[in-house]
This record gives sequence, C-alpha cells and structure tokens, in this order.
Amino acid sequence: MEFLSRTQIISAFAAVGLALYVLDLVRRRRLSEEYSFLWVVASVVVAVLGFSTPLLRALTRALGILYEGSTVFFLGLAFATAMLLYLSVKLSRLGQENQTLTRELALVRFELDRLREGVADDARRPGGSDPG
Amino acid sequence: MSTPRVLVIVPAHNEEESLPVTLGELRRKAPGVAVLVVDDGSHDGTARVAREHGVPVVSHAVNLGVGGALQTGFRWGLRHGYDIGVQLDADGQHDPGHLEALVAPVAHGACDVSIGSRYVARSGYRAPVTRRLGMILFSAVVRMAVGQRITDTTSGYRAYGRAVMEVCQYEFPKDFPDAPLLIDLARRGFRLAEVPVEMRAREAGRSFYTLGKSLYYPYKNLLASMMVMLRRPG
Repeated sequence: MEFLSRTQIISAFAAVGLALYVLDLVRRRRLSEEYSFLWVVASVVVAVLGFSTPLLRALTRALGILYEGSTVFFLGLAFATAMLLYLSVKLSRLGQENQTLTRELALVRFELDRLREGVADDARRPGGSDPG
Repeated sequence: MSTPRVLVIVPAHNEEESLPVTLGELRRKAPGVAVLVVDDGSHDGTARVAREHGVPVVSHAVNLGVGGALQTGFRWGLRHGYDIGVQLDADGQHDPGHLEALVAPVAHGACDVSIGSRYVARSGYRAPVTRRLGMILFSAVVRMAVGQRITDTTSGYRAYGRAVMEVCQYEFPKDFPDAPLLIDLARRGFRLAEVPVEMRAREAGRSFYTLGKSLYYPYKNLLASMMVMLRRPG
C-alpha cells in the first residue's frame, strides 16, 4: 500500500478510529443511530481516501486542489459545516418543542391545583359534593 | 354584543418586588377586571406574591421569555372563555389607568389589536438615542410591509381580540414580539390601531434591553420581518 505523506496515514487511521468510536457510542446507547449516520459516513469517506491513494489523487485533481492533504482537510471542514448546520436545525426544533411542552405543563399544573383545591373543599364540606 | 370578557395577562419573571405594586394598582384603577399572572420560570416569590393577591398564577418550569409567557396567557384565556387579552408588564411600566382606553377599540370591533403607543400623542417619555433610532427604523419597516403607520412598534402594552389570540396561542415570536408580529398579524387580515398612552420608568428590576440584546434585536427583527413577508400569510 502506498502512502503519499504522513498526514495521509494519520488521517486514515484517525478516521477508522473515529468510526469505531462512533459505533461504540451507538452500542452503549450514548449516541442515537440517527446522529451517528453523518459521522460514520464522513469517517468512512476519509478512511477510504486515506487508504486508497489513486482515489485520493483522482479526487484532488477533480477538485482542482494542489496538495492531497488539503483534500482531506477540505472534506473534514465540509463535513463539520454540514454537521453544525444540521445540529442548529435540530436545536431550533427542540427549542420549539420544549417551549410548547413547558407551556402545556404550566397549564396542566394550574388545572391540577384547581382540581385539588376543589377536592379539598368537598372534603371539608361533608354530606354533599360541590354543585358548581 | 354583550360586554366582552377582558383578561389582563401579566408576564412576570422574578418580579416579586414590583408585582404587588402592579397588582394593587390594577385592583384600584381597573376593579373587576380578571388578571392572570404568568410566572415565567421565576426563582423568587413571584408566584406566591400573585397568589397572596388572589390572582390565578400559571407557572412555567423554565424561563421562556415574554413571548412564551404571553402564549400561555392567551391559551389560558381562551380556555376560560375570555374575549380580549391585554398584555400588561409586571414592572410597572404600564399604567392600568389606560386599560379602558386600550381595550375600547377592540371591544367595539374597531380593530383586532390595539397598541398602547407612547408617540401618538406627546407624552413625557424620552427614550435613549439608539432606542429611538430603532423605533424609527421598525416603524418604517412596518409601514413598508403593510402600509400602516405604527409609531410605537416596541410597545408591549397591547390588547388582543379573541381571533388574534386563537392564532397567537400557536404562533408567536419567542422573544421581542414586535415589528414582525405586527406585520404578520396585519397580513393575516387583522386590523391594528394605536391608542395613546403614557409609560413610566420601571418599578424595580433590570431593564429588558441590554447591550447584547441591542445588537441582536435589530438583526432578529429585520430578518423576521423579511421572513414574514416571504411567507404566505395565514
């Protein structure tokens, strides 16, 4: 197997390590399958390019990049950007859902307190339930 | 039409100091008007103080901001059969003496949202320069967007009719429910009107507007106004 530089070797093994770590996180239920997807895809792409020099050369030429190492960094950056954007979108939705739940919880708690007070009133007044 | 039922919604975040003054003044100047305090995740005795005044309290487990608190108030009001919801700040800025004048146009069907405005008539209020610039800017934005002059877009002292509350209980800006909200409501066909009011300095507590917010505010509201224009109304 031919490697162009130490950078390529490091990034190839790091990518494999990352993929394994991500999969282990899923196994331990620390990361959901949904969120692992982008990570696995990105690390597999980097690992494949790292171990296959002809492919890395071809892609580097296709993208008009002069140095192969830059291609790996470029892909990494592209992935990081995609991931951050994805998380921002998720976070916005999560915030929205959180808002809705908080409001609904507050209203339910109010009703619960009122019901509880009603029950307490009934208990204090023996011989009849509250008509109104 | 029978007399509409009015609910004064008081969003309160850590306002145990100013709340008694505000609630006391409400009882004096607007007796018989229903009041709901929305305790927006306070860490002090806000909810207790409100209960001591015999006012129903709905408490958020975490702080959602003025917009979220109002939405809770709208939904509570709708579920309890109120026709008009009035936002009145807990910090004492809003004088309950203007309540009747603010509610009147909505109650008579002259408009769907009435805005208590500091600038319709000469009032004693003088805002800092940056704040005034912002007001001129957003007044212009609203005018361009919906062709109506709203001089005080940042006023939180507003009365909302039932149909407006129906919409706003689901869709409402989380923070700064100002220019974009007014544009959105106008595009949905709701009629806006301004009522001259005077506002006072805050009773206690920290001002809502800080340096970070003064940078984020124009960004957020310009963007949100634009987005409202790009969406189909309704």
